[in-house]
Amino acid sequence: MKDGGLENKKELENSKKQSNSSKFRSKSDDFALSIAKVAVAQVCESIGFQSFQHSALETLSDVAARYIYTLGKTANFNANLAGRLESNVFDVIQGLEELESGLGFAGASDVNRCLANSGVVRDIVHFVGDAVDVPFAYDIPRFPVVKDRKGMGSFWEKGEEPHGEHIPSWLPAFPDPETYATQSTVGNGTMSGSNGVKTGLVRVEWKVERPLLNFQQQFARNGNVGDSSCGGGDSTKAKEASNSNPYLAAPLHFGEKEVDVSPVVLPTKLSNEVASRDPIPENRFLGNQVSVLETFATAIEAMKSGICEYDGSRQKNVLYNQRPTVHFKIGIGKKSLNSAPYFISKNKDLQKIAYWFENGNEKDDRKRRAEIFSKESMECSHESVKNE
Amino acid sequence: MSHNPQSSDGKHDDDSTLSDFLASLMDYTPTIPDELVEQYLAKSGFQCPDVRLIRLVAVATQKFVAEVASDALQHCKARQDAVVKDKRDKQQRDKRLILTMDDLSKSLREYGVNVKHQEYFADSPSTGIDPASREE
Repeated sequence: MKDGGLENKKELENSKKQSNSSKFRSKSDDFALSIAKVAVAQVCESIGFQSFQHSALETLSDVAARYIYTLGKTANFNANLAGRLESNVFDVIQGLEELESGLGFAGASDVNRCLANSGVVRDIVHFVGDAVDVPFAYDIPRFPVVKDRKGMGSFWEKGEEPHGEHIPSWLPAFPDPETYATQSTVGNGTMSGSNGVKTGLVRVEWKVERPLLNFQQQFARNGNVGDSSCGGGDSTKAKEASNSNPYLAAPLHFGEKEVDVSPVVLPTKLSNEVASRDPIPENRFLGNQVSVLETFATAIEAMKSGICEYDGSRQKNVLYNQRPTVHFKIGIGKKSLNSAPYFISKNKDLQKIAYWFENGNEKDDRKRRAEIFSKESMECSHESVKNE
Repeated sequence: MSHNPQSSDGKHDDDSTLSDFLASLMDYTPTIPDELVEQYLAKSGFQCPDVRLIRLVAVATQKFVAEVASDALQHCKARQDAVVKDKRDKQQRDKRLILTMDDLSKSLREYGVNVKHQEYFADSPSTGIDPASREE
């Protein structure tokens, strides 16, 4: 006599779980099973049943699902046995015969029977003829629904060039630089990777541009002389640049005071070119020589006007601050000025500089910068006088 | 020799019967929907672009379920007839025909599906044993 003790129950559950997992029933099958329940209930109703037990209905629907599954499996097996991928009507009839062989059908013992003439088919024909046409109760959409996944897009699809020869074009493209996590305006995510390369390039450009810069400054100092021996176009350019841009003006000599400081007007070319972030760093250098020139004009001017009391890095930070839109990395660490306590403790002016990083208003910045620059230059000159 | 034309005609007839039947299947809508059948056939690896075969499978399944259900109905009616002994025949006969697990398991048994349930559950292993042996 069997007992329904706890041990037995657990074993039953375990065996059930194993059998279920090994069989086709899974969690994702719930929708199909519920549809099967409705269909089976409709069939039972057409037979004559008025109600049912839940467990009985579940069992019968499960059996019906397995019937379909077994039929498909057998038909597929028969097709593969005959060397075909797609199943035939004869494969299906053979599967039906196999399933009906338990109860038997007419002509089962006939060895030379034709499949088309099979008793199974005849039974089905009779059934179709007798049965009442009861369509399914609900409208079912096509399932399972296949999600249409949009791919990332390869380099080739996006029309981008991969960053190196080792990257094939059929691979997914890198995400936009805007999506990178940027820490501050000083440290740009896209720049940090090629930092060393960039600083090298910057230095090279600086060396190349220095003689040209000196040349332009000479012109500005000489009062915009029209005719010169070296290149008319350059001279006119220098003239215009010096007229509009105070950074190309003659540098202040030691001890000079700057009386009137006009607000810095960023040249349109610089602002336009910098606004569009180019992922390839080389282009910026080659196509934008004027900006490099102007940036380092500031550096040279600052050095000449004698900002000597600050550290080299501090100086570079100030210079960097002149052009917040141009993201060069001249050996500056990734931390912003705000985070470094050393700078905050130093001077009142540093707070203003820190404020520049936060404030997005360019015009105010420029005005403030110009004022502070004049202040600093005056202080420096005073101190140098004191030292002497 | 004379056998051959007959058999060839027979074959043609069979083929034509089959093809006619398959064509007629498209008019008849089985209760089991096509999507459900396709789902389970796809799971089993069955590959066929022909819709008529899917209809054939659906009809075959419906026939199977109908046979099982009719057998269960027979069992249910037989039980009801056996119970009726008193004068309240009509009241008991008017009772609803319910598909119970009991009837279903009996009818499925003939088709080779074993869904037998426990008849009862006991509290401990020694339930139902004679008191004399239990003491030992």
